[in-house]
This record gives sequence, structure tokens and C-alpha cells, in this order.
Amino acid sequence: MTTGWIPTLLVLIPSLPLLAAIVTAIFGRGLLRANSHLPTVVALVCAFVASLMLLFEVRSLDDARSLDDGAMIGWEATVDVWNWVDVPAAIATPVAARPSADAAALPATLPFSINVTLRADALTAIMLSMVTFVSSLVAIYASGYMHGDRGYWRFFSYISLFVFSMVMLVSVSNFVMLYVFWEAVGLCSYLLIGFWYEKPPAAAAAKKAFLVNRIGDFGFALGLFLIWTTYGTLNFHDAGGIAGVLGQTRLADPSVYVGGDIATAICLLLLLGACGKSAQFPLHVWLPDAMEGPTPVSALIHAATMVTAGVYMVTRCTPLFMLSPTAQNVVAVIGLTTAAIGGIIAMTQTDLKRVLAYSTISQLGYMFLGLGVATIGGITAGMFHLFTHAFFKACLFLGAGSVMHAMGGVIDMRRFGGLRRLMPITHGTFLFGCLALAGVVPFAGFWSKDAILAAAYEKGAHDDLFYALYWGGLIVAFMTAIYTFRAFFLTFYGPERIPHEAGHHAHESPRSMTLPLVILAFCSLTVGAYFEWTGGFADFLARTPSLAYQGLAAHAEHDSGAHALVATVSTVLALAGVGLAAFLYLGDPAQVMAIRRLLMPLYLLSYGKMFFDPIYNVLFVWPLWLLSRISYWFDRTVIDGIVNLAGRVPLVVGSGLRSLQSGMVQFYAVAMVWGVIVLVITLLVWPALASNWK
Amino acid sequence: MNELALLENYLIVGALLFGIGLVGFFSRRNMIVMFLSAEMMLQGVSVSLVAWSRFHNDWGGQMLVIFILTVAACEAAIALAIVLTMFHKRGSLDIAVWQQLREENQPPYLENAAELPPEEPEPEWPRLTPSGIEPAADLEETTHRSHV
Repeated sequence: MTTGWIPTLLVLIPSLPLLAAIVTAIFGRGLLRANSHLPTVVALVCAFVASLMLLFEVRSLDDARSLDDGAMIGWEATVDVWNWVDVPAAIATPVAARPSADAAALPATLPFSINVTLRADALTAIMLSMVTFVSSLVAIYASGYMHGDRGYWRFFSYISLFVFSMVMLVSVSNFVMLYVFWEAVGLCSYLLIGFWYEKPPAAAAAKKAFLVNRIGDFGFALGLFLIWTTYGTLNFHDAGGIAGVLGQTRLADPSVYVGGDIATAICLLLLLGACGKSAQFPLHVWLPDAMEGPTPVSALIHAATMVTAGVYMVTRCTPLFMLSPTAQNVVAVIGLTTAAIGGIIAMTQTDLKRVLAYSTISQLGYMFLGLGVATIGGITAGMFHLFTHAFFKACLFLGAGSVMHAMGGVIDMRRFGGLRRLMPITHGTFLFGCLALAGVVPFAGFWSKDAILAAAYEKGAHDDLFYALYWGGLIVAFMTAIYTFRAFFLTFYGPERIPHEAGHHAHESPRSMTLPLVILAFCSLTVGAYFEWTGGFADFLARTPSLAYQGLAAHAEHDSGAHALVATVSTVLALAGVGLAAFLYLGDPAQVMAIRRLLMPLYLLSYGKMFFDPIYNVLFVWPLWLLSRISYWFDRTVIDGIVNLAGRVPLVVGSGLRSLQSGMVQFYAVAMVWGVIVLVITLLVWPALASNWK
Repeated sequence: MNELALLENYLIVGALLFGIGLVGFFSRRNMIVMFLSAEMMLQGVSVSLVAWSRFHNDWGGQMLVIFILTVAACEAAIALAIVLTMFHKRGSLDIAVWQQLREENQPPYLENAAELPPEEPEPEWPRLTPSGIEPAADLEETTHRSHV
């Protein structure tokens, strides 16, 4: 198998950000100071170029492979970097360790080995390009946005570390390594949410994000244990004569996968992990609070890249999910539930970044809906939405950051308005992002959202559940258009209002901030249409081994008639939503107040964020708090009491003996003599007594 | 007189010397007398060492006594110097003046408190004026924006 430049590129892409992180961490404070963004920006742009080269290399090698490995399912190449762990004979070989055909040839035990192996295939190449592209733009933007912050160097060091972790997350070929970098991006997320750690809300939000993610990670870890005991390996690819979980041997003959309850358990546990990282119901509560971090972080980590790790992981594990229709349905239902919850809450939030955060949750729900459909169309649609969402959501967040920058840190939409003349570039790019998010033709979001709905509609022909999910998806699409344009109109239209924090210098942002905005807005307009028309995205993604194997291909079907119908309906709904938002928020505010009074219970439900936080407080936080108070009391009184008692014994004895210490020399001499007398008596008399007793 | 009787006599003399020294050390409060009593105990031990040495026909004991005499001489020089200094400090040879080594909160052992001379006040040492450069305020600290 020829791999060309792939090994070099695969190693280069993560090492550049890692190097930048280390350089910035060491030299940032003293040497680089206000230039701390340079290593990061340079490394990320180079990593992006390398990712693009990798993408084209994968594509061209895949096209040219017919000769020596024509039988390969999909196309993949792996590079072994390091053998981290190698324990021989770690597990008695499970039945499912290898294809049943040569079960007799199975060894008695299997080793536990973790190779740091990087892989290149279509899915990885797409994720790498997307991550490095968005992160390069965000790094450039942040060099303007964070200018003058005392933690400037710290910020860029964290960002580079994050990109390194994320790049590794999508390119490793082992579940344990996936878990390691899954945690690493979580750590970077924690560090960056709590970047302004002097602000109590930021510190609390960082803690909350970390703890909520811990629940998901716990499920993920259990899932890994179950995979290990079931398959006897944690590698994706075939290595050392052992068939990997997602390797060629297994994909060639999907019947050797273990089905039934074990498959469902594995999938649901993996899904719990994905729910934590990708902010799906019921673990979505951390994402809105994460907006306490700097806005570039919200754009990069909590909208475009890290939160899509769950979607990536579920896509990667498609062969496992295909074994369990139950798990697929759960994925789809959780996806739509989350989409609906996010949409409803986003309708009434007054904080611009919170609106965007809930819309992120909602769109991630869409992606999960697409994955839950579990046809090749649904999964590629989910990934396509991930891809387009990264561009327009980054564009929207960076636009919100630009507004926040000009408004002196104020992000409450009730306190500013009518900014379109003040900030023309931000206004224009934000409009593009909004149109893409609302799913208006021909913006990026339209194509991907439409593909998801079409996939659900197609599956709905056989399965009523998915028909219901399709209708739910349409309603959420309508809500998306309303809340998106509500935020847009409230921010940029109406009478011009500027909060006093902005002072007299409210102005358009500097070039370093508007340039990424313009690029992202251009992408929001074009990426969807380009890939839809050329058909490049879905076709290319379908060459990923996990998506190209027979088990999934059997489900592939395409009905362009349904596609057109779905597209028409969703476009009409999106335009209706935009129109409704325009009618409500460009018109008389009294109308909005009247509607609010009319739908008071709904309004309160939405404004109160569906009361997830209070409910979780009552269900989990307070009982735990109570338990911790009791434990604290027990520790302080009982455990510490015993320890203190032991400590008091010498004190009591000492206070009794204290009077012996009189300071008179003669007294000490007498004590010495008495000591000698006692010793002598013991030495002389004791042996005599002892021998008598015998 | 045979060897054993001779040894006994010497040992009795040594024990008497040691006992008298011990009682003297316990019962007297004059530092010089206490010191003399301690010396007397030492000599009692030396006498018995010499006696045993003769009895066993082993020169080791005699040699040890020479050592003891030397050490005792040195010790006498040091001890008398200390006693002299202590007398200079408090104007009394009474050992009860030096009871500071007792436990805190413990009353001093005295037959009549009026015997003790007053304690010396702590000497006052001269103070140096502080010098050097005052550290500059952190610029980044003062111009920090907590919120962008």
C-alpha cells in the first residue's frame, strides 16, 4: 500500500500546534508578550495547509489504489508513532476476537497494547481540515480580540494545546487514545472557560462543564471496558494479527460483530460519552454556562470543534451502532429532543451569546438526529451539518464577539440595538451566518439541514418513529429561523442604542477581527452549495472504512423526489420564520409584549431555560451537598475527634509529669540516682526472680 | 594482709568517698561546694578503679585513672570559670538563682524568695536603619482588564 506523504503530514499536523503551545508557554510571558499570538497563528495556518494536502493526498491515493489493494473497504492508512502500553497475555481471547472462520487458530490470550497510531481516511481528513481552518481564523481573530489582556500568552498557549488535542482526537486509531484526547480537549475547555478565573461565574462555569462532562466520560469509559471484554482489542484498525474493532477484517464480514444486548449496552454507553461532550440532553446544561469564557473560545471550542467530538465518535463507531436498532432510535430521539429544547430556550434568551449557545445545542441535536437515522444518507448528512455548522456558527460567535468588543463587554440584547450603521461589516457577516443557520437557500445550513430532514423522511417510509422525528425536525427548523432572526433584528435594527460601558468609542472592530468574519461569512454562503452540487462531500465521506462497509451500504437508497419535497417545505418554513421574526421585532414592541402575555406559561418555561438547572439542583446537587455536609460533620467531629484524642494523651500525661521539671540541679541528680538504682535492681534482681518462677 | 582484704579496704574507701560526694552534691546549694562534691565522687571511682587494677594485675585501670585525672583537671578549669562568670552575673553562688531550666508555669523552688537577687534586665541592642530600594508596583496588575 502506498501512502505517499501521508505519514509525514499526519505527524506534522499535531506536532505544529503542540510546538506552538510549548513555545508560547515557555517564552510567552517574558519574551513574546504582545506577540504571543505569532507561534500559534503560524503553526495553525501551517497545520491547515498540511491538512489540505492530506485531504488531497487521501483523495488521490484512494482514486489510484485499484492495483494492489483494490479489495480494501473504504480507504485508510495508519502510521505507528509509539507503542505506549504492551501487556502480553492480558485477556483470555473472547469468542468475538476474530472472524469465526478461523476460531480454531485463535491464541489462548490476547495482549493489551495501546499504540499511538495515527490514521488517515476521509473522515479524519475532513475533520482535520475543518478544525485547523476554523482554529486558524479564530486565532487570528483572537489576536485582535484579546489584545491587551494580561493573560494574552496564556490564552494562545491554551488554544494551541486545544488544537493539538482536537487534531489528535480525530486522527488516533485506538479507543484508549481517543479517550485520552477526549479528556485533553475537556481539560483545555475547562482552562479556557475559566480563563478569567477571577470572575466567579467563569470559575463556576468551568467547574460545571468539567463535572457534567465527567458523567459522560464515565459512560464512555464503561463502554470502552465493554468493547475490550467483548472484542479483546481497542484498536480501530487491524494490528499485530488481531482484527481491530473497526478494522478491515471485521468490516469485510460484519457478521462477526457481537449483536444483541451487549451491542446496545456498548452503544448507549458510548452515546452517554457523546452526550456529555456534545451537550446533548440530559447533559447539555454545561454549554450555555461555558459562554463565560472569552468569545473566541466560545466560537472555536463550544460551537465549531470540540462539541462535535461526540458526533465524530458516533460516526466513527457506525459499525457498532448498526448492530443495535434500539441504540439508533435512542440517538435519533435524543437528537431531536435536544434540538427542540435548544430551540425553545433560544427563543427568549436576552444574552446574545446564550442564544447562540442554545442554537449550538439545537444544531448538535440535528446532527445526532442525522446519525440516528443510520442510513448512509443520514450519517453523511449529520457530518455535513457538522461541517457547515462549524463555519456559520464560528461566524456568528465571532460576530457576537465583535459586538461585545464594541459594546464594552455588554452582551445583553436589551441594552443595545440598531448597530447596523455603526458596525457594517459585523452586520453583513452576521446576516450571512443567520441566513445559514436559519436554513435559507442557498446558504450552507440549508443544504445540510435539508439532507438530515430528507434522510429522516426517507427512513420514515418504513418506520413511523422517524416520520414523527421528521415533523419534529421541521418544527425545530421553523423555531431556528425565528430565534436566529430575533437575535439579528434586536442587535442590528431598531433605534440605535449603545450602553454606557462602550463609552464614546463604540466602533467597528479592527482588521484582524473583521477578516476572519468575512472569510467565514463567505464560507457560510458557499460550502453547502459547493459540496451539494458537486456531491463531493457525501461521496468522499462514504469512502471512510466505517461508512463504506457492506452492513451500511445495504441500507443506502436515494429518493430525489423526497429530497425536493423536503427542501421546499423546509425553505417555506425557514422563510416563514424569518418573516415572523421580522414582523414581530421590526414592528411595534407592544405586539411582542401582547404575545408574551398570551403565552405566559410557555414564555416562562423558555425564559427559565426549562428549569433544568433548578431541577438538577434539587435532584443531584442538593442531595450531594447534604451528603457532603454530613460527611464533613462526621469527619470533623468523629474522625478528627479520635485523632485529637490520641493527640491529647501525651498532653495529659505531660501535665502530670511537668512538676518534675523544677529547674533545680539537685533534683535532677536525685532523679538520676534513682534511675541508676532502679536499673541496678532490675539487672541484679530480675534474673533471679525470673529463674525462680521457672 | 592478703590481696583480697587489701582490695576490700580500698573499695570501702572508694565507696565512702563516692557516698560523701553524693550526699554533698544533693544537700549543698553553694556551687563551689557542689563542684567539690562531684570531684570527690570522681575520686572515689578512681580509687576503686586503681584497686581493681591492682587486684587483677591489669594496668588498664591505672591508665584509665590517669585519663580521669587529666579530664578532671580540664573540667575543673572550665567549671570554675563558669562558676566565676555566674557569680559575676548575679552576685551569688547559690544554685537556686539558676532555675530557669524549669517547666513553664512551674513555681521556682525556694525556701525564702527574698534570698534571690533581682533578675537582670535584657540589654538593648542598637537598631540598623532599613536600606535598599522599594520594589516597583506591577504595571500589568494595575492596567489589567478583567472583562473584554
